[in-house]
Formats: sequence, C-alpha cells, structure tokens
Amino acid sequence: MSQRELDQDQGQEETASAVSRRGFLKGMGGGLLGTATVGTGLLGEEVGAAVSGPPTLSGPQRITLSINGKRTQVEVEPRTTLLEALRDRLNLTGSKEVCDRGQCGACTVLLDDKAILGCMMLAVNVGEREVTTVEGLAEEGEMSELQAAFVQQDALMCGFCTPGFVVSAEALLRSNPNPTAEQIRQGVSGNLCRCGTYPKVFEAIEVAAKNRRGR
Amino acid sequence: MRAFDLVSPTRLQDVSSLLEDGKGQILAGGTDLLDRLKERIDQPERVVDINGLRELHGITNGVGLSLGSLTTIADVAEDGRVRDAYTALAEAAASVATPQLRNMGTLGGNLCQRPRCWYYRSNDYPCLKKGGHECYAVSGRNKYHAIFGGGPSYIVHPSDTAPALIALGAELEIHGAQGERMLALADFFQGPRENLLSENALGLDELIARIHLPKPKASTRSTFLKFREKQSLDFAVSSVAVALEMDGESVRDGRIVLGGVAPIPWSVPAAVEQLQGRTLSSAAIDDAAAAAVEGARPLDENGFKVTLTRNLLRRALQQLA
Amino acid sequence: MASWKPYTEMTVVGSRQPRIDGPEKVTGRAKYTWDQRPPGMLYGALLTSPYAAAKLISIDATKARALVGVHAVLTDVHPTGNVRFAGEYVAAVAAVDKQVALDAVALIEVKWNERSHVVTLWDAIEEGAPRVFADQENVKENDRGEGDVEAGFAEAEQIVEAEFFTQVQTHSPLETHGSVAAWEGDELTVWDSTQAVHGVREGLAKALAMPANKVRVICQHMGGGFGAKLGPGAYTVIAAKLAQAAAAPVQLMLSRKDQHLSVGNRPDSWQKLKLGATKDGRCTAFECTTWGSGGIGGRGGVPQPYVYQFPAWKQKHHNVATNTGGARAFRAPGRPQACFAMEQIIDEMAWTLGLDPLEVRLLNDGNETRQAQWKIGAERIDWQRWRQRQPGAGAGPIKRGVGMGASIWFTGGRGTKAQMDILSDGTVEVRCGTQDIGTGTRTLIAAVAAEELGLPIEAVQARIGDSNFPFSGGSGGSTTAPSVAPAIKVTAENGKAELAAVVARHLGIATTELTFDGGTVRTASGQSLSWREACALLGATTISVQGEWQEGLSGSNVAGCQFAEVEVDTETGRIDVIKVVAVADCGLIVDRLTTESQVNGAIIQGVSYALLEERVMDADTGRMVNADFENYKILGALEVPEIDVILYDQPERGVIGIGEPPTIPTSAAVANAVFHATGVRLRELPMTPDKVLAALEEA
Repeated sequence: MSQRELDQDQGQEETASAVSRRGFLKGMGGGLLGTATVGTGLLGEEVGAAVSGPPTLSGPQRITLSINGKRTQVEVEPRTTLLEALRDRLNLTGSKEVCDRGQCGACTVLLDDKAILGCMMLAVNVGEREVTTVEGLAEEGEMSELQAAFVQQDALMCGFCTPGFVVSAEALLRSNPNPTAEQIRQGVSGNLCRCGTYPKVFEAIEVAAKNRRGR
Repeated sequence: MRAFDLVSPTRLQDVSSLLEDGKGQILAGGTDLLDRLKERIDQPERVVDINGLRELHGITNGVGLSLGSLTTIADVAEDGRVRDAYTALAEAAASVATPQLRNMGTLGGNLCQRPRCWYYRSNDYPCLKKGGHECYAVSGRNKYHAIFGGGPSYIVHPSDTAPALIALGAELEIHGAQGERMLALADFFQGPRENLLSENALGLDELIARIHLPKPKASTRSTFLKFREKQSLDFAVSSVAVALEMDGESVRDGRIVLGGVAPIPWSVPAAVEQLQGRTLSSAAIDDAAAAAVEGARPLDENGFKVTLTRNLLRRALQQLA
Repeated sequence: MASWKPYTEMTVVGSRQPRIDGPEKVTGRAKYTWDQRPPGMLYGALLTSPYAAAKLISIDATKARALVGVHAVLTDVHPTGNVRFAGEYVAAVAAVDKQVALDAVALIEVKWNERSHVVTLWDAIEEGAPRVFADQENVKENDRGEGDVEAGFAEAEQIVEAEFFTQVQTHSPLETHGSVAAWEGDELTVWDSTQAVHGVREGLAKALAMPANKVRVICQHMGGGFGAKLGPGAYTVIAAKLAQAAAAPVQLMLSRKDQHLSVGNRPDSWQKLKLGATKDGRCTAFECTTWGSGGIGGRGGVPQPYVYQFPAWKQKHHNVATNTGGARAFRAPGRPQACFAMEQIIDEMAWTLGLDPLEVRLLNDGNETRQAQWKIGAERIDWQRWRQRQPGAGAGPIKRGVGMGASIWFTGGRGTKAQMDILSDGTVEVRCGTQDIGTGTRTLIAAVAAEELGLPIEAVQARIGDSNFPFSGGSGGSTTAPSVAPAIKVTAENGKAELAAVVARHLGIATTELTFDGGTVRTASGQSLSWREACALLGATTISVQGEWQEGLSGSNVAGCQFAEVEVDTETGRIDVIKVVAVADCGLIVDRLTTESQVNGAIIQGVSYALLEERVMDADTGRMVNADFENYKILGALEVPEIDVILYDQPERGVIGIGEPPTIPTSAAVANAVFHATGVRLRELPMTPDKVLAALEEA
C-alpha cells in the first residue's frame, strides 16, 4: 500500500450511479463520469449541454471502473494510465510494467474481451468497459485451464512476461477457440519474453484450446 | 507525463475551439500520443479526447466505403468489405504493430502519427521537427531514415495504412473551424521543405472525421507488402502499396506508393508509367521497379533500402500477376 | 560419500516436474520487487546524465523539493561529479507516485561542463583519442600464447585470415533492476531484483557503512538477470538513502531506458583471426588480434582460441574503455563472441580445402563428449544430405543451408548451505539463501529434498530468496544447480538420519536396523511406519538440521554443439532460422522440463543475438539512441525457430549447470548456415537484412 493510499481516505466500492463531487469539474455543474454511449470517453447524457464547455477533468478524480467483475473506485488524475491505476492504486500487481511504451505486451489486460495495453491507456478513458486482468482469470482461486496448461507445459520461466501472455492467449481463445499454429503465434506476437518460453507457450495454448473445446 | 486537463467534447463542432490555440492535442487511441507525452517531447496543457464523437465511428457503405477516423486498425483489418474490395488496406492494417496496438490504434491516428525517428522521439535532441536547428540523422545513425524526399529533415513517414489508402484513391473528410472540407489523401501529406513541424496539411483547428474510399472497380487488383526486421511491432523499413486497374491481363492504370522510405508516403507514378499497356511480365515488372527507385538519395547507412524497395515492389507486382 | 541413485530408482528427480511456483506466476500472485508495497511506500525516480563525459558543476533542486508530493531529494548521488557515460545517476527523488517523482526530476536544474567523449571501439583506440579516464590509456593490451606459431604457419598448406565484429548486447531482462528499501530503526530490509541475495547484503552493508547483520535482502521472484544482477546496485544504495531521508520505504526501479544504459552489457568485439592447416584439415597454428570494449569497465575479453586446441597459438588482446555503461557478465561472457569468429574461420578453412566441415571439426576437436555429440546432432539434422549441397547452390531467391558450432563452459559449483525442518505433521521446510532467476531453483530444491525423503514434492516447502537463510552464492556461471542440489541432498540426508534416530529410540532398536523406502520407514524385523506416523513421534518438537555442499554430487565442464538450418531471402536480406538442433550435456538432470526450457531459452537468446540485437550509439552526442524495446529488438514469437533439444544424459557426472552453455554456439551455427545457403559469409553481428544485402552485392 503506497503513501498515496494511506494519505487518502480509501472509499469502499460504490454503486454504478455514484457521482464524484471531488476534483474540479469545469463546465458541467455536477460532473457525471462514466457511461460512454459510443466507445470510450466520459460523455454521458446531454445533461448540462447548455452550460459552458464540454466535460473537463483536471487534477485528482475518483472514478469507478469495472475490474474483474467488480465495480471499483479509484483515485486518478487524467494522466494516470490504466496500468498505474491497477498496480499502484488498486494493488493489482499481476499486470507488469516492463517498457511503459507499448512495446512489450507485459501490461496486457482485456477490455471487453479485447487485448489492450494498460500502459498506453488513460484510466479515465476506460469508461464502462469491463477490465479483466490476469487476477480475474482464475475463478474462485482455481487456475483456468489455460493457466494450468501454462504450468503443465512449463510455458514460463522467470514469469515476468507470463501474465501478459496468459491474457493475450485468453483474448485469442475467446475470439478464436480453434486457432492454427500460425494464429497462435500471431495471437501472442505482441508479447516479448526474454527467457525464451515461446515454444512452450505455443504448446500450452494448443493444449488449452483442445481442453476448452473438449468441454 | 506532465499533468494536463482532459477535455471530452461531445459534439464535433466543439473540437476546433479546443485545438485552434495550439495548446491542445488530440487523443484518439492514444498509442502515439502517450508515447510523446511520456517522453515529454509534447507537453500540451489540454488533451482533447475525441472518442465520444459519434460521427467518427463506424464503417458505412456509401458510393464506396466510408470509415470513421476512430475505427480501430483491428476493425479495419477484419472488416469483410475492406478485405473483399480494398485488399491493400486490409493487408496494411493487418501488418500494423501488434494485436494489442491494433485493438487500440485508430485509422485517423495511424495517418496523423508523428515520426519514429529516434532523435525525434528523444527529449535529448532538439531536432528540426521539434523546432530545433538540426537534423541529427544527417551525420548520425540513419539506417531507418529517408532515401527519397529528405531534407532538411530525413524522417520517414511510419504509416502503413497511408500508402495503401493513397493507392486506393482515398479522400479525407476534414472538419475544422471553417466547417467541412474534402481532401485527397494523396495531397494530405507534406514533406519537410513544405512543413517542418508536422507531416500533413491539417490546420491547428482541424481533425480528420472520415476516410472515404471510392467504389472499387471490378478490374482492380491491390496488394500491400511490408518489410521489417522483426515480424511484429516493427515499423516498415520499406513498404509498397500497389493498386492496378487491369484491362484483361494488361495494366490500364494504377497507383504505386512506397512507405518507410520518405518523409511522406512516396507515390511513384514513373513506375506505373512503365506498366501501362503492358502485361505483368518480368520485364515490365523489372522496369517498373527500377523506375520506382530512380533518383533515390541514400544516406550513409540506408543504401540497402534502394535494393530492398526495388525487390519488394517486384515481389508485389509478381503477386498481382 | 553421498551419491545419486540411478534414474530408474528415482521418482521426482529426473522427471518432468512442473514448477512448484508456476501457479503463483500464472495467476499474477507472485510478487516481484516491482510489486512490493510496504505500508507508506514512496516511488523513486532518477535524474541521469545526458552527456557521455562531463563535469557536474551544480545541482539546484529547490523547485523539485517544493513540489507537492515530494518527500525526499538527493543531489549527492554521484561519487565524484565526474560523469563518464550518458545515463549515470546524478540525483534522485522520492514522491507519492511515479509521475510526481518524474515531475520533480524535470524540475532539477543541473549545470554541466561537457568534455570530449569516445563511445565506439573505433573512436576509443584512435591515436590521440579523448581519454575515458584521465590517468589511463583507453587501451590495455594483454598477450597470451603457447607453442611456436611461426613454425606452425610454416607447416600449414592452407592459411585463412578473416576479420569479425560482434555488437554490444544489453541483458534486457523484462524486470528492470531496482530495489525497495525500508528501514525499521537502524535495520534495513531491501527487496531487490537480484541474482545474489547474500552478495547484495554484503555489498550493501559496505556501501552504507553499516553492520551486515542489520541488513536483510529479499528476492522471492525476479524477472530475469542473465548476469547483470550479480551484485548490489547504486540504485539500491540510493533507495536506502532516500528511504532514510523520507522516513518511509522507497521503491526505486529503473526505467527501461536506464536499464539499457546503466546496468551492464555484453562487450563488443573486433577480431582478426588467422588459421593455418594442412590440406587434410588438421590445424597447425592459430593467431589472433582482438579488441573488446567494456564501457567504463574497460574489459571486453574474448577467450581465443575457443573450443579447438591448436599446437601453437597466440592472442594479442586489447581491452578498450569507452564512455558508455560498463560491461557486466552476460550469459557465458566472452564465449558467444569468440565462438562466432572461431567456428566461422574453421568452417571457412574446411570449405576452402574442399573438405566436410563436420569432418574438419572432428579432426580438431579433442573433447571426447563433443566427439559423440557432433555425431548425434549431425544425424538428427541429416547433415549427410545437406552436405551434398554446395554453398550458394539452388535456383530462386530463397536459399537454405545448415551450419554448425560447438561450445565449452566450465560451470561447477560449491559452497551452498541449507537448513531443513521436519515437522511433526509430516511436512517439511527447506531454507536456502539462493534465488530462482527463472531457472527453476525452487522446484529443484523441493525435488531433491522430496526424492531424498521419499515424499511427493507437494510435501516440501522450499523457501529461498532471503539473506536470512543459509548462504548460497550468486546465481551466475551456471553454478546454481551444482551448488544447491548437493547441499539439499546432504541436508535431507541429515534430516532423515535424525528422524531415524527418533524412530529407533521409540522402537528400542538401533538406527542401523531402519531403512527408508519411499516414504515408509521399515525395520529389519518387518515393522513399518508411514512418514506421518514417524513424524508424529516428534510430538511437540521439530527436527532442525543443516547441511552443506559436498563433493561427488556435482560436476563441471559442459560441452555441447548445435546445428542450425536457415532460409535466406536474397532479395530482401531476411534470414529466418528454421530449426536448431542442440545437443547439450547436462549431467544428472533434476527436472527434465525446466532443463529443456533452459536450453530453449539459451538458443532463443542466441538467435536474437545473431539476428536482431544491437546497442546503437550516436558517436557525436555520445548516447544510445535505441534504449527501448522498439529499436532494441529482442526476438519475438514470430522469429522463433523449431528447437530440437537432445539432452546428452550423463548422470554419472552428477548435477551440472546448463544456463549458459547453449547460448554460446548459436550465432556461429546460424552464420555458418547462412554461408552454406548463400555462398556468402557474414562476419558481422547482428546479421540484419542490410548487411546481408550488402554482402550479397559485394559477392
């Protein structure tokens, strides 16, 4: 737990309709966060469209994100990345910071089933979309069969790239339950491994795909 | 990143006023902007989040096809209509970066992205493109830099979709303070002699709303080939986009555009001229490829791009034969 | 003397055992140094020098200190103010979050006097080059040799001379270097991403001038090191001082850019080789002049002659200093460089003489193990068929070929100590101050202990990565398995002996009448107790034993050879490594699964070194221009070859390390394959498309 979290009043999870009155919201009297009607962003209904200017965020905000199926409150600034929000505000340290420039895939999380890079997305841009991290793939503490396949095939060594690979593989299998060998390679082509686990990662995904189809 | 205000306009007409003072930068997918902010080569007061603008989303049928500038690269690559009728674009989109970045990056962002030059991307180098006095690539490390159209800056334009879209005859729908205007993508990019501080014709107050593709002709064949050192993530060391209008087995007309070799996507009409009225024989292909690289002016370390580009174009044309 | 049982009598050791810490890692529960969050923790950031050579004149941190959220700023971080590479640490900040810390760093005002620098080997060796260290030459020569080289060359009927160049490679572990430091009174706890918890404790205590018994270093999981994390870092000392100044724990992890610049690399090499042989391929003499630049560390050794033994040889080596980050041990230091050159010149000799490159190697390779390995590998890749093809033959722009290379490495290990507790519920805890850098040490410990006690691996809790645990050396030199496995076995034997004493006392018999059979304790008279029953006799007590490494259970010297098949696109210059066949001797294999992974990983790093990686320096400004993962290219999923690992089982040699050896010959095998495919030899690493096209054009 960081100094920042101790410095703050750490709120409990609130309902989706909760509205933050903290921070400074220019232009919109109350400040309605979340609920994008199209894609991402912070627009809501046209409440307050008559007042001056579009919604503006400045300085610390409390926002609500849906993470691993739970509505979660988190304090961020506009410049806070999703990865920072996860790792440094919410202590979800499974997703890793390796390059912080979108070049290595270690921070891969799912946004509504699609693999994206937490370090290249602003937390305030997530909106209503569902964030799934590696921590959210194990149900009730039981490894998913994909995670189990990684362990069985030894598709990990130091393990630092592993959460990113597991999430990318999960995204692949959700969109393509029967991938060819080439599609598997392409599916994890955005994830770097320095220890050299690739061959066994490919095997693990194949095994997991078979197991899933068998169900 | 330096702290900024995040402004999220809900109406397209509100965007210009947020950009025209030069203190705002557009946030679409964020995959280029966030890199620049983290390196602190850009430190805008205001980030204008355009993701909520309805008009910028979706691929719609029109005379040809109309793609919102916020369409993700992944959606472009996977759209059946793009694959069927605009092959070069589908192939280009599929080759961009990595799966994760394709899910995040947008078509508009891909066209407007800033250079990848390592001097440009570093806060340690006050280069020409950032308002400084020198292009460090000239006497520095320039393996990835321009062999055409360079000077005074030698960056290459990093977009993959741009050469494909130009080859396919794309037009941009641009919105700004003065309203709406259409501009051929072929006329959109600007080299360093025309414009140092950006790579295109957008005014401070403007953004790309939609990208329009003309109705495809049944006789069109198109392809896109990208060469890079690593098979993923890497930007093109050289790329070729070819769209040919065939008359039976002869070439009637077409466009060939090179990527990764010039500060702007590099059209080579001279190469097309070599093909007009001929079949795609190996002689015709060789002539076209030689014409495409005619006049190349390599730097110390990038001479190989001449051979590479010539061979890449030959291969693309062979594939269309 | 203790000895291992044969594989047929073992159930855990020698099996394909999944990592016991696998579940933690795949679920994201494993906590690395980056993930530590002691209460009240602040985030640190560094200000580094943008200049390769400069004198620090002044630092003004007033604005930084005034920034809200900043809890500490250190401006006396640099020992002398005399900076010798771009990226040296100059100041440090601790703040409530990383972004605030970086804001503060940007507010620190520094005045510099720039000096002249040299950042490439070529610039550094030039007459009159600016000196990296004022009081020394940039170049230090050392000569070695044996035998009469002149006579050897006189005897030769064929002489081949060639020049080779290999690049600077950065370790690039996915977890950057860094530490979390937390004080409690005058006691310091440090979580460090390290390969050496004990080494760091010792070094840190010295650096902070404090008693070592008040320093604790913890590293439960770490994200790769490859040799760069074998000692305490300046960032660790800085983190400790920031934590003191801020009166709060501080996490200081390097950025990816700082990682490339400041914590080590594999030196480059420039090698001029000359080889003489009789026309039947027997080498008579070898001579080389070599250079290696190790940054401010100055050392860039290239151990020639490598692998092959010649009757007469001579090496004139030059260690060159440059204004760049100092070199550090990197997976078989010096050997990939040496092998790349040696295996190509011997290959060139063979082809020049019109002889089979494999036969020439067999003729000159005195290592018995490798004699067998060459033949095994050759058969697996079907060298006899490939041999028929002449270099560069075949129509079409896509050409295929096969090449080979061999290696030797010294490994071995000793000195590890361990403790074991056997608890009355039958569970077992082993404690050892070693670390698991991705190799599977935790699993190895549990496996050896479980095997010795006749238990399933789940019954053993292996605790590592803490300087509070008994001493073990740094995980480098491929010494961990041969150091740790014997120590665990001996400790477990000691534990078993004490349990036997307890059981014997209870049954009123002599311990000599007891045997351990799997997990069951049997007496000569036919009684038996299960492991649990035996342990239950402990009642309220615990068995606590120690043990240490003993001779006879481990070995040293690892040979090995590789064959690579490549495809070269002669129109674009792309090299694709299609397949690598690796024969690796590995002594007694504790875990076949993790051993395979080690060999895979080493080969993949070797291919990456051969084709992609390179530190690119801008000579004018003295900076690395590709200090990221976009332009510093490490091999990805789409470049992975098919890897066929043949473990050359020799259990009689005991446990041997395998982390480094398989990375040594890969680039040589690939280069020789490229020659076979195209008829053109690439003598410079990395073998990127531009170099391939240039070489083809010249030919």
